[in-house]
Amino acid sequence: TACYFVSVLFTADIISTVEFNYSGDLLATGDKGGRVVIFQREQENKSRPHSRGEYNVYSTFQSHEPEFDYLKSLEIEEKINKIRWLPQQNAAHFLLSTNDKTIKLWKISERDKRAEGYNLKDEDGRLRDPFRITALRVPILKPMDLMVEASPRRIFANAHTYHINSISVNSDHETYLSADDLRINLWHLEITDRSFNIVDIKPANMEELTEVITAAEFHPHHCNVFVYSSSKGTIRLCDMRSSALCDRHSKFFEEPEDPSSRSFFSEIISSISDVKFSHSGRYMMTRDYLSVKVWDLNMENRPVETYQVHEYLRSKLCSLYENDCIFDKFECCWNGSDSAIMTGSYNNFFRMFDRNTRRDITLEASRESSKPRAILKPRKVCTGGKRKKDEISVDSLDFNKKILHTAWHPMENIIAVAATNNLYIFQDKIN
Amino acid sequence: MEFKLEAHRIVSISLGKIYSARGQRGGLKLHKNLLVSLVLRSARQVYLSEPCCPPEPPAAPRALPEEPPPPCAAAAAWAPGEPPPPPDEAPRGGPRRPGADCESARARRCCCCGCCCCEAGGGGAAPPLPCCSRKRGAGERGQAGSPVKKPRREAEEPPPPPPGEQEDMETGNVANLISIFGSSFSGLLGKDPPGRRRAPRDGGEAAAAAPAEAAAEPGQICCDEPVLRTLNPWSTAIVAF
Repeated sequence: TACYFVSVLFTADIISTVEFNYSGDLLATGDKGGRVVIFQREQENKSRPHSRGEYNVYSTFQSHEPEFDYLKSLEIEEKINKIRWLPQQNAAHFLLSTNDKTIKLWKISERDKRAEGYNLKDEDGRLRDPFRITALRVPILKPMDLMVEASPRRIFANAHTYHINSISVNSDHETYLSADDLRINLWHLEITDRSFNIVDIKPANMEELTEVITAAEFHPHHCNVFVYSSSKGTIRLCDMRSSALCDRHSKFFEEPEDPSSRSFFSEIISSISDVKFSHSGRYMMTRDYLSVKVWDLNMENRPVETYQVHEYLRSKLCSLYENDCIFDKFECCWNGSDSAIMTGSYNNFFRMFDRNTRRDITLEASRESSKPRAILKPRKVCTGGKRKKDEISVDSLDFNKKILHTAWHPMENIIAVAATNNLYIFQDKIN
Repeated sequence: MEFKLEAHRIVSISLGKIYSARGQRGGLKLHKNLLVSLVLRSARQVYLSEPCCPPEPPAAPRALPEEPPPPCAAAAAWAPGEPPPPPDEAPRGGPRRPGADCESARARRCCCCGCCCCEAGGGGAAPPLPCCSRKRGAGERGQAGSPVKKPRREAEEPPPPPPGEQEDMETGNVANLISIFGSSFSGLLGKDPPGRRRAPRDGGEAAAAAPAEAAAEPGQICCDEPVLRTLNPWSTAIVAF
């Protein structure tokens, strides 16, 4: 199947998270400036038959502002680290957005009617002098231009000493977890003044610290199960039924390291930057610096599949350490049927792997190759020897153009790819 | 020698990152700085265990016959981005101490890569390097409890250097930096004052370091003056941090 370009949307700031909602009709992005922009899918339109699949801006709001912690003399960044949608229960949409310290529940609702004919205030909103009111009238609802409002419904603050890296909504739709470098907390969506600490890996003496939590996620179906990944390349699966504090894992996933590939940077590149359950709940996928691994939850000693994202970078690790690229945290995602996975790379490349056919493809999110409904051309990196035409040599890769965040529509073959401050939407070719 | 330079370069880069992390918006990034400190530790271990550059005092390992050390070339495979040294460099006298170098390099092949247990191959050339077992062995798996339980044998810094030796001061500074940076984690919480020196914690480590200092080669860092000097501003900066 070929992938073709649908649209590119420009945001003012670097996009830091991308997430489709459960139906795929809404796509939320968070950026470094603390803003959330929600895009809505165009409905089927007979006069514009190809418009379906396009996403247009639906709502924009400032979710987080920069704050200053006076006690520690630290500035708290407003950058949105993660957005997670709640399942839709009524006409309004709810999402959780988080920066390093504070999680907020936002309600996004549509308003297409306005009340007119108030008694106590006039049409401009100015209060009327009550003594001048001689008659009462019933306000009437009049249609108005659609307005989408976002309002913060809950603010979950002051529960994290370290930087929040993950949030995950539970399948019970009542609770969610938030994870920072050393702790994971469990919240109830209705309760903001209290959270339960369920994982704490902070050592008694911080100088003994060897490992941090890098990502956490609830199981899609079992509301008592969650996983968290670590900077050592391990994943722990925990069952909240077994004890209140889940410091003891139920399962421990780790692949023995290959001693022949050891280097100064082995530790860094084994650090897991993202963990995602498959939709089925049978598998989970982890992303480390050079590869994506698929794990069967029933097999702890090694992944069932490993996909090399950009193995040609292995010989460049020292330079990548120097320019900090080795610390880049790439995310990964499943398609709706769990048959394919996608992750980003450098030079605005992103990679897709078909788990059944074992085929993989490298595509580029760039303005040059993005004309409406143009088919994307597969890209190839030349890893050695003579460079063929259309191949790109490793040394020509632009390491400032990195695709860290990608999202796949939950049901259809529509993908969203964030390239710095551009959001690209691609769709599978439909015959 | 390339290993030493590479290790030194990585130490410098790492210190630079730690230093510039101070003013970072949003506060200290614990994850990144932990990784940097692990790299720093590995590089420092390599740096300390590498044979010295000329001139160097004679020592027992030199008695080993000089021969091209292909295992050293193989050991170079791990060095990031470095091509293996051409075999004809090997018989060169002083710097490489080929025989001992091979032995220690072979042993070091595991160690410099940061962890895993290794047997010191050389008779006395390389002190038994402390092993940091980052990955769990089979015996440690299962309900190991807190994942931050570090094996006791993981390296801390060597004992304070003898005063009046500038090269050892260099080691001391690097060790000081690790110690300071380590306490900066707790400094983050305001528990411990930054700059607190830790006494060596592990008797095994002290024992390993002692023969190093006795042999006087691994502990010494023979570097160019400018290189030595560049490390000093870092230490003052980190102390402030």
